Amino acid sequence: MNFNSPFALPFSIGCVVMFAVIAYKYVRWLYIMPDSDKRQIKANIFSRRTWQAVGECVTESLLHRRIFRVNPVLGYMHMSLAFGWFLLIATGFVETVAYMGWTPVPLRGHVFFKYYSREMPHTEMWQMVFTQVMDALLLFVLSGVALAWCKRVYSKMMGMRRTTRHVWGDRIALTALWCIFPARLLAESTTAALWHNGGFLTGTVGSLLASSLSVEALLRMENAVWLFYALALGVFFCAMPFSRYMHIFTEVPLIFLRRWGVTSDDRPKSFDHFQLEACSRCGICIDPCQLQRDAGINNVQGVYFLRDRRYNMLSAEVADTCLMCGRCSERCPVGLDINKLRQNSRYSLHNSPSFRRYDYLRGVDSSVGSGKVGYFAGCMTLLSPRIMLAMEKIFDSAGEQVWWADRNGGVCCGRPLKLAGEIDAAREMMRQNTALFVKHGITTLVTSCPICLKVFREDYNLPGIEILHHSEYIARLLDEGRLKVKCNQTEYTYHDPCELGRGCGVYEPPRQVIQSVGQLLEPEETRNHALCCGSSIANTTISDGAQLRIAESLGRSLEATGAQSIVTACPLCKKAVKRGTKLPVYDLAEVVADNLTAQSPQSE
Amino acid sequence: MIDFGFGVNTARAINMDTNDLDTAREIFDRLPDLQTCIACGSCTATCTAGAITSFNFRKVHTLVRRGEYGEAYAEMSKCMLCGKCRLVCPRGINTRGVVMLIKKKLGDY
Ligand code: SF4
Ligand code: SF4
Ligand code: SF4
Ligand code: SF4
Repeated sequence: MNFNSPFALPFSIGCVVMFAVIAYKYVRWLYIMPDSDKRQIKANIFSRRTWQAVGECVTESLLHRRIFRVNPVLGYMHMSLAFGWFLLIATGFVETVAYMGWTPVPLRGHVFFKYYSREMPHTEMWQMVFTQVMDALLLFVLSGVALAWCKRVYSKMMGMRRTTRHVWGDRIALTALWCIFPARLLAESTTAALWHNGGFLTGTVGSLLASSLSVEALLRMENAVWLFYALALGVFFCAMPFSRYMHIFTEVPLIFLRRWGVTSDDRPKSFDHFQLEACSRCGICIDPCQLQRDAGINNVQGVYFLRDRRYNMLSAEVADTCLMCGRCSERCPVGLDINKLRQNSRYSLHNSPSFRRYDYLRGVDSSVGSGKVGYFAGCMTLLSPRIMLAMEKIFDSAGEQVWWADRNGGVCCGRPLKLAGEIDAAREMMRQNTALFVKHGITTLVTSCPICLKVFREDYNLPGIEILHHSEYIARLLDEGRLKVKCNQTEYTYHDPCELGRGCGVYEPPRQVIQSVGQLLEPEETRNHALCCGSSIANTTISDGAQLRIAESLGRSLEATGAQSIVTACPLCKKAVKRGTKLPVYDLAEVVADNLTAQSPQSE
Repeated sequence: MIDFGFGVNTARAINMDTNDLDTAREIFDRLPDLQTCIACGSCTATCTAGAITSFNFRKVHTLVRRGEYGEAYAEMSKCMLCGKCRLVCPRGINTRGVVMLIKKKLGDY
C-alpha cells in the first residue's frame, strides 16, 4: 500500500518535532538529576512501587479519577479527551494490524487508516465491528470537545467559578486541539461518502454529504479535509511541548518518579521540571485560593505561579504573594507540591549567605525551670500570654515538671525566614535552638505554635526528643487520666490552622480535646479543606486590609455553624480570627484550662 | 580628660534637601502603608531580635525613610522575620515586607 500522500506531511513533521523536543527535555532532566535522586530510583525501580505507578497512570493520566471527585462533568470532559483519544489510537493500531498483518506501517498509516484503506474490501463482520467501535470512540472524544467549548462559555456548569487565563502559546495549541476531532469527523465522513466505509457516525454524516454534494465536489473536498485534519494534528504536535499540553506525557514520568520516592526540595532541583510541566493548567487550584476569593489577587495562584516559573518569567511579587496555605495543592488533581516549588523559588530569589549576621544569637539562654518536658512558646505565643498561662495551669494540674525554653523571650524557630526563602539564615536559628534543647536534656518538646511544630518536625534534627503540639500533648494527658476536665454543653467550632492540619496532618487530637470539654460543630470547609486565617507567616506582601477581608470571610463561615465560641490551636490564627468575628476566640489550651476540675492531681 | 562614665552625643541633623531620597521613594511606592507610621515604637518594643541584641527596627526604618541608608542593610539583616512587630503595629503596616524590601533595595550600601 502506498502511504505517501502529501497531505500527511504536516502530521509527520509535527510528530518528529514533538518527540524530539520531549525526548530532549526528559533526557536532560534525568541527566542533571542529583545522585541522591538517581540512587532513589535505582533502589525502587524493581519494587511494588513501579506497579503502583502503572496503576496510577491508568487511573489519573487516562481516567482522571481525581478530577471526577472535584466535579463529575469536569471529570468526564478530561476523561473523554484523554482516555477516548488513547483508545482511538490503540484501537486504530489494532485495526491496522487486523487489516494488514504484521507488515511495517508508518505512523501516519495508522492515524489516517480510514483514508488509506478506502479501496480495500469492507464486507467482513469484524471489519464492520471495527468501524462501529472507532465511530463510537470518536463520538466519545467529540463529546469531550463539546464540553470543553461549553466550559469556556459557562464554567459554572463544571463547578468552576473561574477558569485559567491562557497565554498565546496555549491558545494556539488549544485551538488546534479543538479542531482535531471535528476535522477527523469531517475527513472520515467525506471518505465514507465516496467509498461507503463509514460507521453509524461517519457513515451518516457521509450520506448527508453525498446527498447534497456531487461526486466531483466530494473528490476535490476529500484531499482538502484530510489536509486540514493533518494540519490540525501537526500544529498541535509542534505547539504541544511548549504549551500546557506537555502535561499529557509529563504526568507519566512524574507519577513514576514520585512513586520511586523522588520529591522536590527546599532548594531547586531537576525534579521540579517534571512537576512544572505536568501542570495541565486546568485551573482547579484557582477557586480554593482565598487571595482570589476575598482579596481580589488574580495572578499568583498555583497555575499562574507554575506557568510563570516554567517560562522563566516569575517575578518576586508572584512568588512572594501567597499564604502557602496549601489549599491549592490539596485540590490539584495532578498532586503537585506547589508549596515546595514556591518555597524553592523564594530560595532562588531571596536566599543570602548568613555570614555573621546572626552571631548575636550564640549562647542565648533565658530559659527557666527544669524537667524532661520542654515547652517552647514561640514568638507568636509570647504575644498571647493567655495561652502561656493556660499551659502553665495545665502543666501544674498534670503535675508535670517543665523546662520553659523561652518564657522570658527566646530565639525564633526559623520557619518565617525559611518560608521567605532565606534558608541559610534560618539554619542559624535552628542551630541555636537545637543546642539549647540538647543542653537542657529534654525528652519531650511541647509547643503551642504549629509554625514552630512544623519546622521542628521537618528541619530540626532532635534525636531522642519527641516533638508534640500542645493539642497532641493535652489529648495524651486526658487519655492517661492525668488531666480531669468537666464536659459542659457549650458549643464550640474549631478552626484548623493551615500549618497544623494540612501542614502536619494533625486533625484528630484538637477535636478530641474539644469534645472532652464541650460540643463540637464543624464548619462547611473543614479539615484538609479548612480556610486560612489570612495572616499566614508565609506571606510578606499582602496588605492589612486584604488580611482582614480573608479573616472576615473565615469568621463568617465559622459563625455559620451557630457555635457560641471559636476554638483554634495556633496563636497567630487566634489573633487573626479575632479580627474577623464578634464571637469569642480561644486557644485550645484556654478552654481546657477553664474546664479543669478540682479533682485532678495537683502538682507536688 | 577625666572619664565621668558618660559621653556627649555628637550633634546630628538630617538634611532632607541634600539626602538622596530616591530609594526611600521606591520603598514607599511598593509599601505605601509605611507612610502612615506614627513612630510609636511598638515594633521595637516587642521585637524578638531587639530583646537579644542592639537592634532597633523603628530607628532603622525611620532613618531609611529620611534617606539615611548607611548601616541599614547590616542592621536589617539581624531581623528574624518572626512577625511580632506586624501584629502589634497600630497602623497595620506590613513590617515584614518593610524588612524584606529594605534588605533588597539597600544591599549595596
Ligand atoms: S497546579 Fe494542579 S490544579 Fe492547578 S492548574 Fe496545575 S494541574 Fe490544575
Ligand atoms: S497556597 Fe493558598 S494562598 Fe497560595 S496560591 Fe495556594 S491557595 Fe492561594
Ligand atoms: S509599630 Fe508601626 S506605627 Fe509604630 S513605629 Fe513601628 S511601624 Fe511605625
Ligand atoms: S520580624 Fe524582625 S523586626 Fe519584627 S519583631 Fe521579629 S525580629 Fe523584630
